[in-house]
Amino acid sequence: MVRLEFDLLFEEMNCEECQEHISQYLDGEIEVELSSNIRTHLSVCAECAKLYEDFSVILESCRDTNIIPSEIVPPNSQALWCRINNLIESEIKPEPPEEPKKGWLSHGWNLTFSQAGAAVIAVALISSLLTIVGIRNYFAPSGEDFTSRSSASQTTFEKVLSKIGLADTPQQARERRIREQQAAIDYWTKRVQERRGQWDVKMRDAFDRNLHLIDESVSEYTIILQENPDDDLTGEMLDTVLNDKMDLLREFSDL
Amino acid sequence: MALVLKNRLCSYFTGKTTILLLLSVVFFFAPSETAAQRRFSKTYPATRNVRLTLTNRSGTVTVEGWNRSEVQIQAYLEAPAASINPQVLNGTILINMVKDNYGRGDLGSVNFTIRVPFDAAVDIETKVGNLNVSNIRGTLVRAKISSDGDITLTNISAQWVAAENGIGNIFFDGDIQSGGTYRFTSMSGDINLRVPFNSSFKLIATAPSTRSINLGSFSNGNMRFVGDGRRVTGQVGDGSSYITVTNQRGTIAFIRR
Repeated sequence: MVRLEFDLLFEEMNCEECQEHISQYLDGEIEVELSSNIRTHLSVCAECAKLYEDFSVILESCRDTNIIPSEIVPPNSQALWCRINNLIESEIKPEPPEEPKKGWLSHGWNLTFSQAGAAVIAVALISSLLTIVGIRNYFAPSGEDFTSRSSASQTTFEKVLSKIGLADTPQQARERRIREQQAAIDYWTKRVQERRGQWDVKMRDAFDRNLHLIDESVSEYTIILQENPDDDLTGEMLDTVLNDKMDLLREFSDL
Repeated sequence: MALVLKNRLCSYFTGKTTILLLLSVVFFFAPSETAAQRRFSKTYPATRNVRLTLTNRSGTVTVEGWNRSEVQIQAYLEAPAASINPQVLNGTILINMVKDNYGRGDLGSVNFTIRVPFDAAVDIETKVGNLNVSNIRGTLVRAKISSDGDITLTNISAQWVAAENGIGNIFFDGDIQSGGTYRFTSMSGDINLRVPFNSSFKLIATAPSTRSINLGSFSNGNMRFVGDGRRVTGQVGDGSSYITVTNQRGTIAFIRR
């Protein structure tokens, strides 16, 4: 008998209905019969009871605390609870299948002719800019261009690109280039070290003499560039002798 | 009297014997240059505009143009003798002493004398040693020394000429053809270019260390010294060809022919 009564009561209100009216129940803005049903449901449903407790704590906090100014407490608490309730429901209910997206023009992108023209020009400018940057970076390792140039010989456009970070400054480009060359030099130096034991004295002397001469030039140009980073010619010569060093090492590594 | 004569004769013959003995010892132990060298010689028929590509390790390479449709290769190989294996591929004669002797450490120098048709393209390089090219009227002359050695190019008439070495001199005596490209690069040494007085070219000459760039009679109002005299750029005549000269630590001089 008790079990039957329990089932009947439980059947009378399900969780969804209970949660829908729980905020009104908390505010005392609900009919007596419905209130009774909710109370009964809360006594037998742990999940809804937990939700009821949480809501109660939140509501108490809002009412008791002095930190929250009274003006931010909404005048219509029922509406607030409705919103909270809707949020909870939206989390519980499965999302409706997405409608197929409509074209971007149908979302209020009604552009005037001048706006469309401006947009096209903007796209063209940006793509040109990116192309220029790409080409500039692609040709960077040639040694006689951007990497060996100073800021004094930069065009205004290049300076702007450097400022906004779309392109390297000549100094950055040079440093990057030197790092690349140095990595290659390190690699070939190891190869030469493995091989040079087999060379005859004449070959070793010639190699060492030339390497020493190149290293002297590298040191000289590096010092000049430290004193005057805008010295284009020295930058170019440094690039050349580093290439020469790379060539020398590579060519002797196959002996 | 007879005793004195006998003593003199004895000392005379004893001295001679000693000298002969010493000489034979010297000849026996002295290294014989002719015996140490191995000679290689081969001749190939040449097609028109044949190309010679030679990569040597060490030694002098001399390439001469001649009025025959054949390529003659002569090599003198010092001991320990290197392997030499010329190949003919699609009108190109290839000799690669580095590849043919890879892994062999102590090898003697190989001195080449190669004769090619006048119109041949010549592309030679070596790690150490001198390179000489003369009497070539082909499309290309390239000579490169990775380290020490002089490059001498005489009586050259080619559209594309490149000479590059480390420590050593470069001498070019030839024509500057319209539309041609001429590049001379050295780390240290003198670069001397002897070209006809009526040559026309655009020039970039750079000598950053010595700043010694002598244009001789090619100096004109179109020439501009830049970088405190480290570089000269400009034009001679209508500037129909390009000459680039870079000498990191040496001098550059133009001589009118």
